Amino acid sequence: MPEFTLTAKPFLGGYSRDFNGTTLTEATDVSITSIAQPLGGREALAKAVQSAWGCALPTPGKTVEADDGHRMFCTGPDSFLLTGPALADPAGDAAKALKGAGYVTDQSETWVTLRLSGPQARPALERICPVDLHPDALPAGAFARTVMEHLGAIVLAEGGDTFTLMSASSSANSFLHAIEVSLQNVG
Amino acid sequence: MSQSNRIDGGLIDRSQTLSFTFNGKAMQGHPGDTLASALLANGQRLVGRSFKYHRPRGIFTAGSEEPNALVQLRKGAHQEPNTRATTVELFRGLEATSQNHRGSLNFDIMAANDLLAPWLSAGFYYKTFMWPKAFWEKVYEPFIRASAGLGALSKVEDPDTYDKGFLHCDLLVIGAGPAGLSAALAAGRSGARVILADEDFTPGGRLNAETLEVDGMAGSGWAAEAITELASMDNVRIMPRATVYGAYDHGIYGALERMTDHLANADGKPRQVLWRIYSKRALLTAGATERPIAFPMNDRPGVMLAGAVRAYANRFGVAPGKRVAVFTNNDDGWRTATDLAAKGVEITAVIDTRETDAQASIPRASIVMGGRVVDTAGRKGLTSITLANGQTIPTDCLAVSGGWSPNVHLTCHQRGRPGWREDIAAFVPSGDLPPGMSVAGAANGTLTLSAALNEGRAQANEAVKDLGFAASRKAPPKAEDEARETSAFWHVAEGKRRAWLDLQNDVTVKDVKQSHAEGFRSVEHLKRYTTLGMATDQGKTANIPALAIMAEQTGKTIPETGTTIFRPPYTPVPIGALAGRSRGKDFRPYRLTPSHKWAEENGATFVETGNWLRAQWFARPGEQGWRDSVDREVEMTRASVGICDVTTLGKIDIQGRDAAEFLNKIYANGFAKLPVGKVRYGLMLREDGICYDDGTTARLAENHFVMTTTTANAVLVFRRMEFARQCLWPNLDVHMISVTDGWAQYAVAGPNSRKLLAKIVDDFDISNDVFPFMGCAELTVCGGTPARLFRISFSGELAYEIAVPARYGRCDDPGADAGGRGIRRDPLWHRSAWRDADRKGPRGG
Repeated sequence: MPEFTLTAKPFLGGYSRDFNGTTLTEATDVSITSIAQPLGGREALAKAVQSAWGCALPTPGKTVEADDGHRMFCTGPDSFLLTGPALADPAGDAAKALKGAGYVTDQSETWVTLRLSGPQARPALERICPVDLHPDALPAGAFARTVMEHLGAIVLAEGGDTFTLMSASSSANSFLHAIEVSLQNVG
Repeated sequence: MSQSNRIDGGLIDRSQTLSFTFNGKAMQGHPGDTLASALLANGQRLVGRSFKYHRPRGIFTAGSEEPNALVQLRKGAHQEPNTRATTVELFRGLEATSQNHRGSLNFDIMAANDLLAPWLSAGFYYKTFMWPKAFWEKVYEPFIRASAGLGALSKVEDPDTYDKGFLHCDLLVIGAGPAGLSAALAAGRSGARVILADEDFTPGGRLNAETLEVDGMAGSGWAAEAITELASMDNVRIMPRATVYGAYDHGIYGALERMTDHLANADGKPRQVLWRIYSKRALLTAGATERPIAFPMNDRPGVMLAGAVRAYANRFGVAPGKRVAVFTNNDDGWRTATDLAAKGVEITAVIDTRETDAQASIPRASIVMGGRVVDTAGRKGLTSITLANGQTIPTDCLAVSGGWSPNVHLTCHQRGRPGWREDIAAFVPSGDLPPGMSVAGAANGTLTLSAALNEGRAQANEAVKDLGFAASRKAPPKAEDEARETSAFWHVAEGKRRAWLDLQNDVTVKDVKQSHAEGFRSVEHLKRYTTLGMATDQGKTANIPALAIMAEQTGKTIPETGTTIFRPPYTPVPIGALAGRSRGKDFRPYRLTPSHKWAEENGATFVETGNWLRAQWFARPGEQGWRDSVDREVEMTRASVGICDVTTLGKIDIQGRDAAEFLNKIYANGFAKLPVGKVRYGLMLREDGICYDDGTTARLAENHFVMTTTTANAVLVFRRMEFARQCLWPNLDVHMISVTDGWAQYAVAGPNSRKLLAKIVDDFDISNDVFPFMGCAELTVCGGTPARLFRISFSGELAYEIAVPARYGRCDDPGADAGGRGIRRDPLWHRSAWRDADRKGPRGG
């Protein structure tokens, strides 16, 4: 057996900062799994998802809340993201739950997840996010894929002044910098 | 200097005094002043020198159309040239200096150019600097460059910051004058999301400059109440100091908001924000610009537009002169005489080009109907005017009105052409508007107040109804329609001296005639040949009179002559604002591998590959250059073992019943028969047979593959495969998702690589028999961390690639080094190792 172990470190070291009442925090307690629907397997997947997480398949641009703190995003006609609590093997668990009704890939390490909350959240995002964040346009539970400062991103409206932002983990520092600068510019 | 020209009234806060300097001279103004109004209040008429002849020039307008009063603001690195004093909001400690002179503003040695005027006419450069040819680069161009231009750059990096942003609305109202306010109120009350943008710092437009009443109160008071009501609506965003400068596709508008320009200290906040506004509908209520009449020697400080003179008196409490004369071809010019007379300013004369009855009786003023100004006097400021009837009238301010031109600019940004309206002698928006745009108020040629208020409301209601909102039923604000009869009188033919059209570029009536005589008759040629309508003001006051003169010359009508094309931006946008925060290291984002921090601490030199920063080599003390480091790394790898972070290579997870068949089609070589647990090198070709990308693909399970691509092509390969999956072979069951960022992957190469890996794998046999060349496996390392191991090599020797989830792949903890204890090892420099490998086998990049 090897004489040492590896330790997981959050991409931004568990970043958390308060900008005059608006907080920006790295979410380190999430797992992300992609689920692809096999060709012609819509019904089987819907059934499997219903029994695994107690929710229906979401429609594009929408998310649904599911059992045990999970949330399912529809990212395309046949593709979904499942977010949930941090698990040792989220993709393995999902594969077991779906019993072959969907193709799963662990995406927990691919994305960095930030939570932005507070009165300056919208004004700050206005500086980098082309998506309309008005509650009428992006109600709670809706999300959009977009580009912020050249970086592909997902913005999820959690309701009120809270947003979950996801972007590629390799550019996590640049993504964080873009949001920090926005908060400083509007604060 | 005291504020000798300050009079009662105005929208300025006299309880506070702001000190500022102009050319080092201490002056005072009040909050609510522009730099221009404060300069006039302090009796400073001479504010700059003209572009070509270096003639003394004063303030001509009271808005963004200003051609003359260009000044430099602030000092040192913050210095900003070519700002229009008429739009600069006064703040305490503002430092302004005049520009475009050698020597002082009062004694400019370049003014000698004025004596050479007969030789400096239109096309002067093209005719003069032709010979000898060799002189162009060495003599003429440096000379012209030194003499030309207005302000000077600081030549140091701009220390201010800028930002950008995105806004969304149902209705964008462009301009907060009477029509815009009326429109915003109507749309706001309907519940639609409204953005009201105005270039001024005090919304209200001409309501602030006139004495007209709305709903029985002063127009400026009504405007302030309207803003208060709008500010109370959650669905309305009011953006003062924001110029909508361009109309782009799909209802997108560009706007520049000046955030801290009016503050002495920006406090680290961005100076300006460049907004991209996504609108469902837009209403242009940008008002109109007054135009001058060309008459001999009409460029002296003290000659101003009549509406501007009125704005200074009514809005800023400043009399631009002690004895004011008015020269007009329309009813509106008379308002200047009546308004100023009512404030106790002496009106010496009203000269109307029309042979009609006087519009008003002005005490002690001589009224000259059918009159013309044929000459003026006063080198550094107007002292008198001479009329065609021979009469000379002492005056220090001549208010000129040649009628009003609707600000049609944004209606033409998508190639629309304005149409001509004879009754107001002006171009108005034609039906050919950018999609989703409508126009109301003076911008639409609706020049009178009541009509503008009604039209703004009606157009807004139509727009919101179109979007499904119920229009507000509240009655429109009440006002009168003022007299606005105008005549098409463009220039005074009498008199031999120069009559200026474009004050900013020193283009005279004679230049336009000369351009015509020399064959440059199209308006676009006229513009280039004479420089008419160029530079910071883009001819906002000059173009229409010049077109009228060209039309006279060609014998065509003005609409036949046409306008030059209107292009964004409406007013100047600093390059800094266009760049936003994309400066220096923030020009683009960086992708970092999990070992980045470790590499930094260990002396890595990085190379940019796409957005990635990749370690190139690791210098050690005593090494003289990159070659020393590289040679050491190569030698180490050949002799023992080297490790290289290959995380940057694209990784695509591919699953599906038809994944193998799909890969078989994607790659030029066969993949259908690749056994589970094996890796194969693959080559992708373009349709024309040229190599597109290459890499290895591992079969982890019957229906599960993981592909690697080159670093720079990862996104392109993914995109191409998505295209193939969705469009070429939609009947195949195959799905893919990027896992590039998900795995920290290291190449381990060299004769000791197996020995090194044996120290970290958990109960996994990596002997050659069990895990041969081109094998792959999912396993655990370091006591349970999931990993993937590939026996692939870019050096043809014993080598592996090992991947762990990215969060485990960080080498910045001491444990990471422990694995190699007792084995000679070094980080491996990609390029040298792979160049070496080129001779023996495939390589990737």
